Amino acid sequence: MSDLDRAIAQLRSCRPIPESQVREICHKARELLIEEGNVVTVAAPVTICGDIHGQFHDLMELFRVGGDVPDTNYLFMGDFVDRGFYSLETFLLLLCLKVRYPDRMTLIRGNHESRQITTVYGFYDECIRKYGSANVWRYCCDVFDYLALGAIVLGASNTLSTGTEPVDEDTEIEVCDQSGTVMSRFPRPMPRPNSAEGPARSPNGGGGGSGDRTGPPGSGASGSSGGSIGNPTGAVLCVHGGLSPLIDTVDKIRLIDRKQEVPHEGAMCDLLWSDPDEIDGWGLSPRGAGFLFGADIVKIFNHRNDLSLIARAHQLVMEGFKEMFDASIVTVWSAPNYCYRCGNVAAVLELSEDESGTGLFARSNGDVGRSDGGRGVMMEGETFVRNGPARRYRVFQAAPQDSRGMPAKKPVADYFL
Amino acid sequence: MASNSEPLGPPPRPAAIINHVTSTNEPFPDPNELDAATKVHTQGDFQIEARKLPISKAGPIDELNERLGIPVPEMIFGDNLIKITHKPSNWSISFDAFGALNRVDKEGKKLLKVSYAKDWERTREDTTMKIKNIVKPYDWSYTTDYSGTESEGGGGQRLAPGTGHSIPLALLQRRDPMLFFEEVILYESELDDNGISIYSCKVRVHEKRMLLLCRLFMRLDGVVVRINDTRVYVDFDQHYVIREYTAKEELFQSLNRKLVMSGRLPDDVTIALRDPNILDPLLTVKKQTTDTVRFG
Repeated sequence: MSDLDRAIAQLRSCRPIPESQVREICHKARELLIEEGNVVTVAAPVTICGDIHGQFHDLMELFRVGGDVPDTNYLFMGDFVDRGFYSLETFLLLLCLKVRYPDRMTLIRGNHESRQITTVYGFYDECIRKYGSANVWRYCCDVFDYLALGAIVLGASNTLSTGTEPVDEDTEIEVCDQSGTVMSRFPRPMPRPNSAEGPARSPNGGGGGSGDRTGPPGSGASGSSGGSIGNPTGAVLCVHGGLSPLIDTVDKIRLIDRKQEVPHEGAMCDLLWSDPDEIDGWGLSPRGAGFLFGADIVKIFNHRNDLSLIARAHQLVMEGFKEMFDASIVTVWSAPNYCYRCGNVAAVLELSEDESGTGLFARSNGDVGRSDGGRGVMMEGETFVRNGPARRYRVFQAAPQDSRGMPAKKPVADYFL
Repeated sequence: MASNSEPLGPPPRPAAIINHVTSTNEPFPDPNELDAATKVHTQGDFQIEARKLPISKAGPIDELNERLGIPVPEMIFGDNLIKITHKPSNWSISFDAFGALNRVDKEGKKLLKVSYAKDWERTREDTTMKIKNIVKPYDWSYTTDYSGTESEGGGGQRLAPGTGHSIPLALLQRRDPMLFFEEVILYESELDDNGISIYSCKVRVHEKRMLLLCRLFMRLDGVVVRINDTRVYVDFDQHYVIREYTAKEELFQSLNRKLVMSGRLPDDVTIALRDPNILDPLLTVKKQTTDTVRFG
């Protein structure tokens, strides 16, 4: 057993590894990450995960539900640290797995992978508490600066791989629970001419906004990214926050000098911080910093970059995932019972492999103008949407509390005044 | 269209096994199971209810956004409740998320900005000239002066401005046995990682009296800290209720200075800034009101 495998085993049992070893692993990780572009190319099949926030035992639950590394190919969209009690073990385990299985593990940067934010929201304090000095925090922050800003998933199939139960060819979305039992399925809607109303937007009623489609995740109406069956799907862009008004093509993300602390300004900041919202075009957050973007922005961006879907994290959603804007963007959230008190479920998104093998080459790899002859901006009113990949959401709950080795969280009766 | 929208899947999954909120395994009760999630304690003529459930789902959130006219905080416990009822008269005061958020400034008349807003705007002047519209201005710090939703008693009993009563702190400082204790959060926002805004309620019941503290704690890093407290005191023997509302505020820099001057090291200052109990005495009182109601 190598030192690295021993470190992985130790971290899997939620025990920190010695400072000297952290230093070594961070060094190796940096050498690996420095070779990665700002936008990493990942081939399907892949399981896409959202925020973890130091909830180590729930990450173990995620691996149990989604399959262990290296059997399953993972893509984590940032926010590994802060808030939870085990940011250190969480981040170091993911990092060790990255070093051990670089092709099976993709880590991109979230807004919490930053010196400034970790000082306020827990990771810094945790390092001090567990090591008595800030050294380990510093090693980790140096790694943060090298994390990629996004990923492009290629070769995702428009049909689902067979799970525990056989799947029809026209199933676009499947939602299953943590034991793999199918909770609901949604067929790919047939293209219908002139549908003023359109099929309902997403399994959790995203774009539609009406409140009558609730219940278990995915019990709402059908998903929809249109298109005909049999085509390879467009690429999927994964990013922590969202889009930036400074970025109109994926290539522009590739030009950013990312090896720095997350700045307050510029495209890099936006990619890690912005949120989709039910607005037209771009908007300013009432907070005085941060952009919001509407459905038109996503659709134009996806069209221009030959994408079928943007997967992002960053926002808590009770159901674990939320598709918006005619399934052109999805929020994936992977921290169940967030902060140990929200009681939400979490989800991961599985994209299966297009076994025809044509998908990887037949399309533009997320670069502008490679497959459409450089067609410009989508005309207003045009409703062209790339054929979306088939999506399987695995929804899971928090790890049982007794597996955590920490006392049950009961309110402490105090004589408050 | 409907036929297209029907799930293809297997029959609906069996009802999840629901753990009660007191279970050591975290519960995920269906919001329909409101009763199962409600703890009730009766003391003298009064009944105290506390309900704790997970954050609201997409549907109820959309509904709440609609009813309120502002986007709700990301952690919204729409089903949670604290309620005190005087049973003989049916007078009650309750605290819930809708009531609290309904008292948030929905127009953003005095819009707060994050500490680095100026830098953020300045560095974007060239590129984002066109993006001028602030989306739905409202008080995104979720500061509220909510002090409960009151329901009049059968004999017209209502809370009315103070009659010389004040909450007997000395009696509440005694370590009397606690017959009931609960803590319920109504909402929480991380303010997009610029601090915290949390509305939480704590209740403790003793043989002869009880205290409920409902607190809005809002810290906007680098800008301002606010604590709006509503205390409800019930005297079971003498059948009266006092409600005290106190609004406090301090600029962040001034608070920071006070904490440093008290001899704290930088790391301890960070920790203190997360604890409203430490900050409370350092804030300036902006408003204070007392109401009472008497039964029989």
